[in-house]
Amino acid sequence: MTEPVPIVFVVDDDPSVCRAIKRLVESVGLHVEMFGSASEFMSSSRPEIASCLVLDIRLPGIGGLDFQRELAGADIHIPIIFITGHGDIPMSVRAMKAGAVEFLTKPFRDQDLLDAIQVGLARDRARRQRQSETAVLRERFESLTPREREVLPLIVSGLLNKQVAAEIGTTEATVKVHRSQLMRKMGADSLPELVRMAEKMSLPSLKRQASKP
Amino acid sequence: MATQPVDPQLRKTGIGVVGDVPWGTHFFMFYETKEDLLDALVPYFKAGLETGELCLWLVSEPLTEKEARNALRQAVPEFGRYVADRSIEILGGRGFYVSGDNLDLQGAIRTWAEKTDSALTRGYAGLRVSASTAWLERKDWNAFCDYENEVNNSIGNWRMTALCTYPLTGSTAAEILDVTRTHQFAIARRNKGWEMVETSELKQAKSEIKRLNDELERRVIERTLQLSAVNEEMSKEMMERQRAEEALLEAQAELVRVTRALDMGELAATIAHEVNQPLAAIVTNGNFSLRRLESATPNPEELRVAITEIVNDGTRASAVISRIRGLLMKGIPKRTELDINQIIQDVVILLRNELTRNRVSLRTELAADLPRAHGDPVQLQQVFINLIMNAVEAMRSSTGRTRELLVRSARNPDGALVQVQDSGPGIEPELADRIFEPFFTTKAEGIGMGLSISRSIIESHGGKLSIIPVSQGALFQLTFPSTPAMFHD
Repeated sequence: MTEPVPIVFVVDDDPSVCRAIKRLVESVGLHVEMFGSASEFMSSSRPEIASCLVLDIRLPGIGGLDFQRELAGADIHIPIIFITGHGDIPMSVRAMKAGAVEFLTKPFRDQDLLDAIQVGLARDRARRQRQSETAVLRERFESLTPREREVLPLIVSGLLNKQVAAEIGTTEATVKVHRSQLMRKMGADSLPELVRMAEKMSLPSLKRQASKP
Repeated sequence: MATQPVDPQLRKTGIGVVGDVPWGTHFFMFYETKEDLLDALVPYFKAGLETGELCLWLVSEPLTEKEARNALRQAVPEFGRYVADRSIEILGGRGFYVSGDNLDLQGAIRTWAEKTDSALTRGYAGLRVSASTAWLERKDWNAFCDYENEVNNSIGNWRMTALCTYPLTGSTAAEILDVTRTHQFAIARRNKGWEMVETSELKQAKSEIKRLNDELERRVIERTLQLSAVNEEMSKEMMERQRAEEALLEAQAELVRVTRALDMGELAATIAHEVNQPLAAIVTNGNFSLRRLESATPNPEELRVAITEIVNDGTRASAVISRIRGLLMKGIPKRTELDINQIIQDVVILLRNELTRNRVSLRTELAADLPRAHGDPVQLQQVFINLIMNAVEAMRSSTGRTRELLVRSARNPDGALVQVQDSGPGIEPELADRIFEPFFTTKAEGIGMGLSISRSIIESHGGKLSIIPVSQGALFQLTFPSTPAMFHD
């Protein structure tokens, strides 16, 4: 399976630093795009491929840490590697707590930056993987009949066919049919697998619903 | 020896019960015998002679002029001399008032005035008179009462005392009342001595005087207390002022040190950033070059570009460091030729990150033909840092406005001028004078020394730091005299 070349975005207001990082990172076979400010980065279009962000803490306009928060708020989950001319501990703690991959103090060791970039890209790949799996499951879930969609949460919450039948007011035999249909449509070979799928899709609470007398 | 009354304005009467009286005293006595008269009048005139008064004794029966003279001679040791230099005259009473057959009371009043004047001209303290009225005929009583009344009213204007003697025998009650009415007070024989009989008017006057005196005294005490309180307050204030001045001097010395340290603390981050930026580029480019050299096919062109950047960034880092050294350099104020534009540019570079961080957009308009000034570059850097940081803080406090800072230099008739203008909330006109005072601040955490020190630095360079009223924001203007000719080549 050939993956498209991942992209490393570099945001630093010092063009000389940007160029040096670009040169280094491209020498290990990655693509680099440079930006002088956070807003330039935001207004650029980003392809749907594995990527990470090398971000200077001190930036014109909005600072790096505020920008990190802004990205999270905008549901942009790109992994961030911070670089700073004068790192202090509280700043790095804040950045790491907010999910940064690494916090590097300039001048940094080239290998530290490259390692951090690899970690960032791996994280992004994994997130994209999860995202696409969930998308497939969602698609399969949408193909279920309304009755099957009603039955699925009851099964994964551990109810017996008899109990499910009582719950939705039908016979045990009918529940058995629904069950085998939805297992097939979801592509689940066993009940534990179906349970994991439900978790990935973050289906609503599987608690037993209040039964009518 | 004669004793002078304590107050020169008070005259000693010689009559124990009366004591000392002021000029203008007009009193009377009723007598029954010759002894009564002598008993009162001899000490009266003795006291007058011995205190340098011109004396005039108008006698009438039962006393003769001779008896009066003898009695005085016995009582006054130097009586002969007083008579010889006409310090005392003893005359018949009737003859004084009556000219021809007519009673000339207006003439008498004129005489009192003239006599008083001549007494003063001749060097006497004033005129002392006693007049007997035993010669007076009943038909003239009313006229005489009018005269006495006039004397009573006028005598206050003269340096004169008068003691009128009236025979008690044969006086009617109405007459006694008349006499009382026309004099200030009386003395009367009671047992062996004399007693003062005051008229109700005098009593009233005296009590009024006493009241006024008490009031005056009370007010004097009050005022004295007030004055001493004020005095105390003033000396306290002076001491506080002195303390404040000492504290100010100390604080100024401390501040020159601390502002340096504070500015440095603020700048430490900037410095680190400024130096580490080129270093980061150098190290990264260096690592890249090493990687390339170790690879199978190193590309010389690629390496040349990377190494050129390393050289450039190395030069850049070194320039940053020399600027910082200039700023940190301690020591006594220098006097060197100054390129004010260069100082502004250095400060702007040092504060660039501070401006960026606060989203302030900076515009500089530096005149190319700016005349040179002379002074201490480090001190001037401090002034510019102070003004720019003040502007940044002022703009930070206002939301919504764009944050624009203009630093402008220009030639002016006396030399150079620099303006620092911000788009902050501005300075209220009534505060414009006060902001340069030591310890005056509008900032919650300010100590109010920045502008005060800045102004004294500029003034020590022969220039002026002032605030120029503008419609929006605040505009500070500095002027520098151009370098004296001797500083040029």
